Amino acid sequence: MNILFGIGNSGRADDGLGWALLDRIRQETDYQIEYRYQLQVEDAELISRAEHVVFVDSYRGELPGGFQWKPCEASSETEFTSHVLPPGAILRLCQDLYGKSPRADLLMIQGSSWDLQTGLSPEAEARLDHALRVFRERLPV
Amino acid sequence: MSTTRRKITIDPVTRVEGHGRVTIQLDEAGMVEQARFHVVEFRGFERFIQGHPYWEAPLLVQRLCGICPVSHHLAAAKAIDQIYGVDPKDLHPTATRIRRLLHFAQVFQSHALHFFYLASPDLLFGMDAPVEKRYVGAVAMEHPELARKGIQMRQFGQELIKALAGKKIHGITAVPGGVHKTFHPEERDYFLADNGAPSIDTMIQWSQDVVAFIKDYHDKNFHFLDSFASYPSGHLGLVGNDGALEFYDGRMRAIDSHGEVTLNDVDSDSYLKYFGEGVEKWSYMKFPFLRHLGRKNGWNRVGPLARLNVCDHISTPLANEELREFKAYTNGRPNNHTMHSHWARLIEILHCAEQIRILLNDPEILAEVERPPVNRRPEGIGIIEAPRGMLIHHYQADEKGSITKCNLIVSTTHNNEPMNQAVQWVAKNVLDQQKEITEGMLNQVEVAIRAYDPCLSCATHAMGQMPLMLTVLDADGKIIAEHVKNSK
Repeated sequence: MNILFGIGNSGRADDGLGWALLDRIRQETDYQIEYRYQLQVEDAELISRAEHVVFVDSYRGELPGGFQWKPCEASSETEFTSHVLPPGAILRLCQDLYGKSPRADLLMIQGSSWDLQTGLSPEAEARLDHALRVFRERLPV
Repeated sequence: MSTTRRKITIDPVTRVEGHGRVTIQLDEAGMVEQARFHVVEFRGFERFIQGHPYWEAPLLVQRLCGICPVSHHLAAAKAIDQIYGVDPKDLHPTATRIRRLLHFAQVFQSHALHFFYLASPDLLFGMDAPVEKRYVGAVAMEHPELARKGIQMRQFGQELIKALAGKKIHGITAVPGGVHKTFHPEERDYFLADNGAPSIDTMIQWSQDVVAFIKDYHDKNFHFLDSFASYPSGHLGLVGNDGALEFYDGRMRAIDSHGEVTLNDVDSDSYLKYFGEGVEKWSYMKFPFLRHLGRKNGWNRVGPLARLNVCDHISTPLANEELREFKAYTNGRPNNHTMHSHWARLIEILHCAEQIRILLNDPEILAEVERPPVNRRPEGIGIIEAPRGMLIHHYQADEKGSITKCNLIVSTTHNNEPMNQAVQWVAKNVLDQQKEITEGMLNQVEVAIRAYDPCLSCATHAMGQMPLMLTVLDADGKIIAEHVKNSK
C-alpha cells in the first residue's frame, strides 16, 4: 500500500495546497488518498502498513522555485499542541510503536495567502502546476 | 532571594488544545503577588453565525474545533430541533440512539487522546522529566503496549464517528428533527467483531485495563495525586431523571465543595435564569457563575471530576462499580483533588465503551428514522456534556428562519475560574520565594491546567496563532529572561 497525504484546510486559501494537489492527481494514481486538516496520532498505525508515503503540505515561507520535494525522515521534533503533528513525528511514532519505517517523502508548496477564503491565490496556482509536473516525474502515475 | 519584582509568563501553555498564556507576578521578596491564566484568542462564532439559516448551525458551529466537533454538532442540533419544533423527548427513538452512539464515540476518542497523548507523559515520567521525554513518543518507546492501546482506542472512536457521520472530523449526522443517515448492519458489525481492528469487547477490556492502571498509579503516587492543585470548589454536570451520569440529555445539577446541592436538577431551558457570565479585561474567556451565589462563590468545575461528583450512580455495571470505589475514596464527599480528573476520565471511558456496546447491539439502532413535521418556534437551547464538561448552545431565529442570536457557553469557559485557581495553587505552593524558577516548576503550572483538558479554541471560538515565549520581567517591565518554547 502507498499513501498520499494532503495536509491543510481549503477554507484558508493557500493552506489548501495539499488538498488541491490531491484533487488534481486522484484520478491518475493508485496511491491511497488521505485528506487531513492535520496529521493524527492514529495515522502512525495507518502508515505502518504502507511501503511509500508522500506528505503534501503548503509552506509559509520562501522556497526556491516555489516548492520543494525532499525525503522525509523520522524525527523527535514536537510542537506545543496536538493541533500540530509534523510528518517526521508521525514517522517516529510509527517506528517506535510498530517497528516500521516506510519510505517517505515530503512535498512542500509555497503559499502566499492564508485568509478565510476558498480557492488558491494565482501565485499558489502557478506553483501547484510546477509542483505537479515534478510530482508526476517522481511518482509516475 | 530576589529583590526585584518579577513577572513570569508561560506562553503558550503546552499539550492543551489551543493557545493560552500564564502570567505570575512576583513581588520584591519573591512572593507570588498575582497568578492568572489568560486566553487571548479571537472570538467571533456567536456573531458571524447570525443571519445564517437556523438549520446551518449544527454544520457551521462544529467548525469551532477539530477535537470535539461532534459535541458542538449535537448541542447545536438539540437546540435547532426545538426551532424546527421538536423537543428531545419527541425525537424519533432511533435518531436519539444514533446521536447518543455518536456522542459516546466522541467522548471515548477524546478522552483517549487526552489521557494517552497529553497527560500520560506527566504521569509516567514525572513533572521534572526532561522536556524531550514529556511527549507521547517517549511513552511509545518505554510503554509501547500502553501507547498502542491508546492509539487504537482513539482510532476506534474515530472510526465509529466516521461510520455515523461520514467523516472523522466535521462530519454530519444530525439534521433538524432527526438524523440524515440510517446505520447499516454491515457498518454496525464492523465494531462488534475482532476482524483486523479491535472490537467493542476489546475496547471494554482495554478500558478496564486503563482504569486498573490509574488506580495502581494512584496507589503508588497518592500523595501527589491527592494534593497537587487540590482546592475546594463547586461541581456542575448533567444527570438523568434518576440521578445517573448523563451525557446527552439531562438536568443540570450543581453541588458545593461540601456536597450541598446548589442547583437542583433544573431543566436546560432555564439556564439563563441561573447562569451569569463575568468578564475580565485580561482574558477573552468569560467566567460563568450561578447567579444566586454570585460571581465570587458561584463558579463550578465541569468535566469528568465534576460529573462523577454530582451523579448518584452510573447506568452501566462496570463503570458503576468503579464509581463506587471512586466515591468511597473520599467517603462519599465531593472529590476536590484536581489530579483525580484523570481517574474520573478513565472511568468515563469505560462507561462510554459499555454504552457503545449496548447501543450497537440494540436492533432499534438500525431502524429507519422518520422526521416529525416542522412546527417552527423562535428559540432553542441545547445542553450536553462534552468531553470537557457542560456545553450550552442557545439560538434564536426570526420568522424567515435566520439566526438572530447565538450564545455559547462551552466547557472550558466553565472551567476558567477553576483553572485560574489551579494556577494560583501551583504559584503559591511551588513558585513562592524560589530563587530560581526551573522549567520543571513551570511545567507544574501546565500540569494543573492540563488536568482540565481545556480546549481554548472552543472557549473563545478562535482563529489565529500565538507566539511561543516564556518571559521574565522586572518591576519596570524590562525583560530579564526569555525562553522560546518548542514551536517551529
